[in-house]
Amino acid sequence: MKLKPEDLNKIRERMKSTSRLREAEGKAKINVHLGTCGIASGAREILHTFLELVEASGADDVLVTTSGCAGLCKREPMATIEIAGQAPVKYVDLTPEKVKKVFEEHIKGGTVVKEYALAVGSERLG
Amino acid sequence: MAKINIDGRDLEFEEQLTILDAAKKLQIKIPTLCYNEHLAPYGGCRICLVEAATQAAPQRSRLVPACTAPAADGMIVVTNSERVLESRRFIIELFLSRCPESEQIRSMAAEMGVQPDGQNLDVVGQYLLQRAPKREATNCILCGLCVRVCQQIPERFALSLKERGIHRKVTPPFEKVAESCIGCGSCAYVCPTKTITVEEA
Amino acid sequence: MGNYRFNLLVCAGTGCVSNNAFKVKAALEKEIEKHKLQEEIQVISTGCNGFCANGPIMVVKPDDIFYQLLTEEDIPGLVEEHFLKGRPVEKLMYTPAKDEHPIPKMSDIPFFGKQQLIALSNRGLIDPENIDEYIALGGYQALAKVLTKMTPEQVIEEIQTAGLRGRGGAGFPTGKKWEFCRNALVSEDSSAPGNNGNSPSAADKYIICNADEGDPGAFMDRSIVESDPHALLEGMLIGAYAIGATHGFIYIRGEYPLALERLTQALEQAREYGLLGDEILGTGFSFDISVSKGAGAFVCGEETSLIGSLEGKLPEPRVRPPYPAQSGYMGKPTNINNVETWANVPHIINRGAAWFSSIGTETSKGTKVFSLVGKVNNTGLVEVPMGITMREIVFDIGGGIPDGKKFKAVQTGGPSGGCIPESLLDTPVDYESLVQAGSIMGSGGMIVMDEGNCMVEVARYFVSFTQQESCGKCTPCREGTWHMLNILENISQGKGQEGDIELLEKMGRYIKETALCGLGNTAPNPVLTTIRYFRNEYEAHIREKRCPAGVCKALITYSIDPENCTGCTACAKNCPVACISGERKQTHVINQEKCIKCGMCYSVCNFDAVRVR
Repeated sequence: MKLKPEDLNKIRERMKSTSRLREAEGKAKINVHLGTCGIASGAREILHTFLELVEASGADDVLVTTSGCAGLCKREPMATIEIAGQAPVKYVDLTPEKVKKVFEEHIKGGTVVKEYALAVGSERLG
Repeated sequence: MAKINIDGRDLEFEEQLTILDAAKKLQIKIPTLCYNEHLAPYGGCRICLVEAATQAAPQRSRLVPACTAPAADGMIVVTNSERVLESRRFIIELFLSRCPESEQIRSMAAEMGVQPDGQNLDVVGQYLLQRAPKREATNCILCGLCVRVCQQIPERFALSLKERGIHRKVTPPFEKVAESCIGCGSCAYVCPTKTITVEEA
Repeated sequence: MGNYRFNLLVCAGTGCVSNNAFKVKAALEKEIEKHKLQEEIQVISTGCNGFCANGPIMVVKPDDIFYQLLTEEDIPGLVEEHFLKGRPVEKLMYTPAKDEHPIPKMSDIPFFGKQQLIALSNRGLIDPENIDEYIALGGYQALAKVLTKMTPEQVIEEIQTAGLRGRGGAGFPTGKKWEFCRNALVSEDSSAPGNNGNSPSAADKYIICNADEGDPGAFMDRSIVESDPHALLEGMLIGAYAIGATHGFIYIRGEYPLALERLTQALEQAREYGLLGDEILGTGFSFDISVSKGAGAFVCGEETSLIGSLEGKLPEPRVRPPYPAQSGYMGKPTNINNVETWANVPHIINRGAAWFSSIGTETSKGTKVFSLVGKVNNTGLVEVPMGITMREIVFDIGGGIPDGKKFKAVQTGGPSGGCIPESLLDTPVDYESLVQAGSIMGSGGMIVMDEGNCMVEVARYFVSFTQQESCGKCTPCREGTWHMLNILENISQGKGQEGDIELLEKMGRYIKETALCGLGNTAPNPVLTTIRYFRNEYEAHIREKRCPAGVCKALITYSIDPENCTGCTACAKNCPVACISGERKQTHVINQEKCIKCGMCYSVCNFDAVRVR
């Protein structure tokens, strides 16, 4: 099929997730902890929820990644949210509904959802 | 009208000229080997190198082959500076080292003051004419005139150059007698060292 | 389209492929299927990452985790630990020499972090066999911009303002070259120099990509073609539009089968999308490219020889003027540029001349790709801004000299270049500074040497290369390099004479002045620079019949030190000419008459008992 200039942009749109994965500098990074404890308590579902939300929002500067056990096995599923230039925030006892709220308010809105957070940086929230 | 200066003498010209053409009009002699006035210039033997500079930058001269370099307006050419004579001697020494038996090369060298056992050779000349390893005897200087004439005049392409570098040689296709050869003798006629001969078939 | 959470970029450049990268990839795919992760993890094979001595390489995106030296056996553990349990595997990461801690992130590894990628932007990031991935990362946007919003003159001006210079070695301003060709008038009698006043005809102009890359050890162009062939095609399309050409050639070395394969595929995919052919992107611009293979002649990297070869004639340089811009392929105006030069063009159009000219030095703008090889810890392909010092390249990016050895010299510009000694390590790498130091930029080869390299042998090696590759047309190169080689061989065999150094210097100068083309003009450079900076080594060979670096076979002897020898018989068992004698647990002895100086005993001895003098 012979392309017109606008078709190039359509292909780019279609391949957006690829370019995001390969190139994104990442204004925000979502790190879902996938230790054995995490997986056992449903961290995979949390991961998929985050992935779907990012995809749906069309944001190309939000990275989703995984890492191992964060150490606090009782409070899994856990995710650490890191906005560029700010201290990382650990969220605990996550459910898909809580994930939606965290995504809207913290990642898109920039405000930490205190009631779900365990710690900001090294501080403990009361 | 354009003007070129060769060895201090001016020549005005309108048509397309090479430096060699212009020098001939001024009766200034520049030695040549791979040049023939009926064939497109080749620029391979390098014996005709002369110094050329533009009026804009007279001190930035380069060595260019007179047989191919176009004469340009305002050009300043020197055919007998030390730089030119040095390079000419170097080229003829290389030829003499390659073809020590060739009469034509020996006499051209003698004209330039280059004798194989000469006293006035520099360190390069001494090496090339006295110490350099001897090779299989040949009088062919690989000027390419035979190949070029066969391509351009009878257009028979009966000769070509085979192999690369030091192993290069003139040969008919597959080193056999060329079927396309018509025995015109042009190759033998143009050969500067009379290496090619024509025989009865 | 995947909601993939990981993209595993497996390097499939020639280096990694010959180290079984495809087997590693297959193992990855198998393990991922085994753990049912195919929906989450995508495995892609990309082009060369440039860190070739450390392959097979895999980069995990988006985290940017860098894995190296992978084998099939590593994969099951890697998949389980990193992708299931979230614990990246440290022992498979890059650890700098003299360090214990690995560096997980690719951009933190100095080899990568200190580079600035323009021509190599997409390397290791996209699948070169999928045009959609090139487009996804912004490919062909520059072409669209040029065809819809810019005139050819504006394109040429942009390239001129950017200050792009030819990356093939000569460094001629690219914009100016394009302008010459655009303005060239097509004469009826194409064999006559000059023009007859005819108006320019677009159907009679050509552009060529020189992908002959002949310098030994150079693989910059190969990498670009293998990793990102569309970057080359887009650059050529833009150039063709600017110059007014309707056909282009890519002349690529026959010795690059993988690059040729990727290139052919890329051309087919571009044609399918109408990016080559008639009425590209729906505009009136038509252009197509054909590919021609070289057949092993270094001289074909010289532009007029290349044209001769394309025309089916003997590859030998032609007299200039006329230059190819006036009279090139089939006597028509032709513009030739190197692969890397073409690959820079889309970036200049996309990001602007001002951006490009903000990188580099006053006279050398932008970046340059170098192949950093030899006695250096991190060997591979690096792209750095012009003006970076040699020291930074060798030590910060290259990681310094391995095995605690000392830096001796770096050869730049291949057989046409020269060596830069330690005293000049702070030379900025740009066209003019390298020439001042006695070398040239060349196409980008950088061979690092330590005290174990003999500079006489280096000169001999390069002259033997140019001697073999000389086309034979002009006397000084054909005969002169043969004589230089003989003199150098004699010196390295201990048969040198007093005065030989001056002889080489003078002959080298004469050859440089009188040769017809760049091959001959530059062939003496390695000799002249090694004499300039390492004269004492030549003198040792000539006066003392000694090779200080212990390399020249005729001048070294291998012997066994009785103090260290334990009589383990490893040397005797491995000697290819059985010239070592000795009983078990007795000191062994090498028979000097039969010894061929192969060095096998030295490499198998575990007791440091073999001495090379």
